[in-house]
Amino acid sequence: MGDNLTDQPIIQVRNMSKYFDEFEALRDVTLDVHRSEVLCLIGPSGSGKSTLLRCLNFLEAYDGGEVLLEGELIGWKSAGASPRKALSGEALRRQRQHIGMVFQQFNLWPHLTALENVAEALIHVKGLGKKQAHEKARAALAKVNLSDKEKNYPANLSGGQQQRVAIARAIAMEPSVMLFDEPTSALDPELVGEVLSVMKEMANEGMTMVVVTHEMGFAAHVADRVAFLDSGRLVTCVPPAEIFGQVPEDPRVRAFLQTYRERNVV
Amino acid sequence: MELDLFIRYGPALLSGFGVTILCWLVGSIGGLVLGFLLACLYRFGPKALGWLIYIYVEIIRGTPFMIQLFILYYGGPYVGLVLSPMQAGILSFIIYGSPYFSEIFRSGFNAIPKGQIEAARCVGLSERRILMRIILPQMLVPTTAPLTNFFIILTKETAILSVVTVPELLYETQTMAAETFTFVEPFLVLSLFYWVLVIGTSWVGERVEARVTRHLRRV
Repeated sequence: MGDNLTDQPIIQVRNMSKYFDEFEALRDVTLDVHRSEVLCLIGPSGSGKSTLLRCLNFLEAYDGGEVLLEGELIGWKSAGASPRKALSGEALRRQRQHIGMVFQQFNLWPHLTALENVAEALIHVKGLGKKQAHEKARAALAKVNLSDKEKNYPANLSGGQQQRVAIARAIAMEPSVMLFDEPTSALDPELVGEVLSVMKEMANEGMTMVVVTHEMGFAAHVADRVAFLDSGRLVTCVPPAEIFGQVPEDPRVRAFLQTYRERNVV
Repeated sequence: MELDLFIRYGPALLSGFGVTILCWLVGSIGGLVLGFLLACLYRFGPKALGWLIYIYVEIIRGTPFMIQLFILYYGGPYVGLVLSPMQAGILSFIIYGSPYFSEIFRSGFNAIPKGQIEAARCVGLSERRILMRIILPQMLVPTTAPLTNFFIILTKETAILSVVTVPELLYETQTMAAETFTFVEPFLVLSLFYWVLVIGTSWVGERVEARVTRHLRRV
């Protein structure tokens, strides 16, 4: 790791572990995400991909190891002490502002319009005036091609549109990293494309992205690296060509991809 | 039907209706506020407090309103709590209603999908903001109908206040019946009054529900 700050990975995961009671959800995961990199997390269901993602912004409190965002420990006051003390709500909120998150179920707030969903945190977290916040929110909605839907409530948006509003809500906060938790898994097949193309555009503009996905096409063509998880362990983390372009060495990766190959997805 | 009876007792009945409305409104709105606070403390307060609230809810829900009223009105003076019938009536009404309201709000809290709260945390909203901006406005959707329902139930519970001589509708009606030896007419009028109250309450409830579910309507 170079001393130069810009060389430092934006996210560093060091020997992280996570338990749900007795169940070991993640074991000894070590992983770097570099600036402007798109990292896709793939693996069978229950392999820990979503848990790993949710530990990155401390929606799940990881138990062992460290997660660093631009060198700063996420969620805990210090890496050592046991039992560890969680950061204050205020400090955690400050950290989370730098990490945007998009969920499988969109999680828009149904009582607010598209514009209000995007502007909410700009007003109440960033402290912008209403007018300025709405301007920014409109710009974010324009980025996801939804300028004409700003007055719609989520109930009157398609799944794909809702997910794009959710993306706008996250990017309006100008995060340094974006996390996506199976962003297209809840969508009808014909709506997947519009969300993926917005994500592709973000990747092209240099956004750092960590994406849990079952869209192998997206992983193959957009990701800089693909991490494969199995039973809570990071099996491999390599450029997509090494997974999709040839027959993978690891039998678990091979077996996993076989199911996709059979459906002619890859 | 003797009309002049109603001319003679009309003012008393109307005054009884007024007292009924007063006790009902102050008592049930008081109960609503107390119930809301209990639900908030139950959800956000320390665990020990949650247990106390749980016990309170079970005790009040598990005993008849009339017994609670008796204990407060007749038992109060033994611990230095001397209340007028009206004060005891309204206070016991607040206590009686609060656990039901609290349960309605508790289920309302649970109805908000966890993901929405996670999304709010992810953009850095504070817990207080999340309560005020995300949870409370949406709680109105699943709670408006049961709240209206319980307000309607409470309109008729006010009749029990007559046992400690609160001069509400039933008390005045019974007085009229006893003094004139007529029974059918006074109690028909009484029913009419309650019916008006119930219809009015459900009308307001429907308006409120239409307002708070506006965003869910597909256009």
